[in-house]
Amino acid sequence: MSASLEKGINALKEQVDSTVAAFFSSCVHCGMCAQACLFFTETGDPSRTPINKTEPLRRIWKSEYTLLGRIGKILGLSKKVDEKLLTDWETLVYDSCTLCGRCSMVCPVGNDITLMIRKTREGMVAAGHAPEGLIGATKRAVTIGSPMGVTWKALSAQIRHVEEDTGLKIPVDVEGVEYLLLLSSMEIMNFPEFIEAVAKIFDQTNSSWTISSEAFEATNSGIQIGASDIAAELVQRIVDVAEKLKVKTVISPECGHAYMAIRWDGPNLIGRPFLFKVRHILEVLDDLRTQGRLKISGKEARKLTYHDPCQISRRGGVIDEPRRLIDMFSDNFVEMPDGGKMNWCCGAGGGVSANERADEIRLKVFQRKKDQIDAVRPDAILSACSNCRIHLEDGLEEYNMDIPLLSLTETIAEHLEGSEV
Amino acid sequence: MTEIELLSWARGPGLQIATIIFVAGVVIRIFEILMLGRKANLAEAKGSEMSSGLKTIVSRTVPDRDTFQRSGLTIVAGYFFHFGLFVTFFLYAPHILFIKDLIGIGWPALPTPVVDAVAVVTIISMLAVLVNRLTNKVMRYLTNFEDLLTWFLTIAPLVTGYMAFHRMGFTAPTLLATHILSVELLLVIFPFTKLMHSFTLFLARWYNGAISGYRGVAS
Amino acid sequence: MSDISNDADFRQILQDLGSLQQRQIAARFVEHVLSLSDDDRLDRVIKTVADKDASEDELAGALKSAKAATFDSHARCGAEGHWSEQAGYFVARAAVAAGTPPAQSRVGGPAWQAAMSARMAYTSMLIDDDSSQQSAHTECEWQYQSLSDYLNV
Repeated sequence: MSASLEKGINALKEQVDSTVAAFFSSCVHCGMCAQACLFFTETGDPSRTPINKTEPLRRIWKSEYTLLGRIGKILGLSKKVDEKLLTDWETLVYDSCTLCGRCSMVCPVGNDITLMIRKTREGMVAAGHAPEGLIGATKRAVTIGSPMGVTWKALSAQIRHVEEDTGLKIPVDVEGVEYLLLLSSMEIMNFPEFIEAVAKIFDQTNSSWTISSEAFEATNSGIQIGASDIAAELVQRIVDVAEKLKVKTVISPECGHAYMAIRWDGPNLIGRPFLFKVRHILEVLDDLRTQGRLKISGKEARKLTYHDPCQISRRGGVIDEPRRLIDMFSDNFVEMPDGGKMNWCCGAGGGVSANERADEIRLKVFQRKKDQIDAVRPDAILSACSNCRIHLEDGLEEYNMDIPLLSLTETIAEHLEGSEV
Repeated sequence: MTEIELLSWARGPGLQIATIIFVAGVVIRIFEILMLGRKANLAEAKGSEMSSGLKTIVSRTVPDRDTFQRSGLTIVAGYFFHFGLFVTFFLYAPHILFIKDLIGIGWPALPTPVVDAVAVVTIISMLAVLVNRLTNKVMRYLTNFEDLLTWFLTIAPLVTGYMAFHRMGFTAPTLLATHILSVELLLVIFPFTKLMHSFTLFLARWYNGAISGYRGVAS
Repeated sequence: MSDISNDADFRQILQDLGSLQQRQIAARFVEHVLSLSDDDRLDRVIKTVADKDASEDELAGALKSAKAATFDSHARCGAEGHWSEQAGYFVARAAVAAGTPPAQSRVGGPAWQAAMSARMAYTSMLIDDDSSQQSAHTECEWQYQSLSDYLNV
């Protein structure tokens, strides 16, 4: 992956389409996007205004794709994209943005600023301006198959544990089943009980499923760093296996960006529709609920709230499903202010938590989540993304708030009819 | 050139040139956008693009609660002057007659004293908008020459129109010529600035709604 | 007390124990894998948890310490994961389980959870250690024996 300024500029040019042009043409510099972005609201730093993060892309659009801009370029009057700009913009485009999507929801002229920042990353990475942590993660994803270096050997060890703990057999490389379950490295390393939960649920609902030893990784570092070619390669591995095993549905686990990558970006990255469906684990569970196959008993007495992982809720479309599932085991549920489509980001997605340089700001912007949580004072917080979970826990610990973070899938498994409570 | 000659020029050739540049400019800018095209979405759709896009064109006009709390002044001042521009331009009898002359269609006007009052409110809103732009931390950071230029180009017809109606300071022909020339200046520069948002926002909002709606989210 | 030879029995026996007993046996499980963690706090945590005279405040303090240890040792999303370090994370998790009162514990109770996490710590160590001839079942067997010994005393 040899990077250069020229490659970066070319990558940016390729990213300009009619949506980008319509968006830049419409921006009136009202600054409202800043008020939707927790990296601005919690720091007060105007350079973190979302539309400002797209400056490299804007300069290319202006000088290459507008009449006035092209004239300006000929006259040598246009603002250039150079090394200095890209260097200065690295901490804005990567450290100060999780691609959470709130800015896209509030822009009065309708700009999808998140999309524009995502596209800006394509230029940054081609020019060699992505954060080191992310570059490392991406390299590991490509060569080892997991951004955190998790191998099949490690996963099979975790699987053995799960089998011991549950007494259930975890199907591996089985053909013709309904579901192929993907897993994120975070889950495999930090929350292997997620695998247990899924196994128990599928056992109770008589669902046929499998994990693949060749393609088990859900996390897509290519998406986070903004390198579509790498993202495509990682998706292709899953597609090859899913089609080889002839599964009906590929399940994206409790990881935010993984869902966006495989569900919405996937076919566009590889250039053709999939021969299988893609669903988030919560969609699958909600489906099982609708079919009457998911049987729950016992209620959670604790006061619960739900943190919407940005890529799953606002950017992914899975907003109502978790709430219907929570209804099954809770009569004591409260929404955070702005809960649902407009929920605030935990601050760790989109590559931010893989970037050590962003540690300080990540903890700082957590204040926004803290304010939301303070407003409802829950006994526990449910979510459906391992990264959100661990980052929220970290943040709460920093502020001496003892509120457990629960995985929605794991909580459902704990309430399965017939399971010990 | 006498003031009558200036007025004649403004009403005649000036207007023609300005209109041609305006129309050509707007068409070119929109064409520039559309010809770039966008790739079809190959993922399995969860919602409809077209209906979501159309919905967002309308719904994006209304801010959500949290946004309104944080950007209240920007939003209110913004709506005031947009609304004011609409009323002072489209609902003022002499303007309607002028348009009727051009395209053959007219419509009822608001009573002139009402338009006059709205003009005052609009000018005050425009001043509030400028103050906001220069004092709000984020806006100050984003503001460039073009923002100030377009502000000036927008307020100039309002102020000169008000002065012309009230015969303030100069002779009637001079005031009217100035007003018409200020409009022509606006028309000529319009297509090369962010004022294009008045046309492109329909595209932008539609794209936003379509992209989001495809994934099953109302935006 | 007959020998324990499978997880179903093991788990049932653990769940039937009183809260002090669960704490003490859980502490033993954690202690056995303590060497897999380099977090000094956990030693003190386990001593407090195992102490039958520990006050509620002391237990709460120990639990807090154990939780902090998990945050400091978990693998970061996107960072290179080292299973030998991840072992330390699971040791901390076992300590958290051991120090959690039964009412707030995850399914199976504090002692069972501590046992599971301790096994995962051991497994993590094995993942990185290619040369080891041992299997994960070794830890399991040790835990059965440990529980048997505890009950027979």
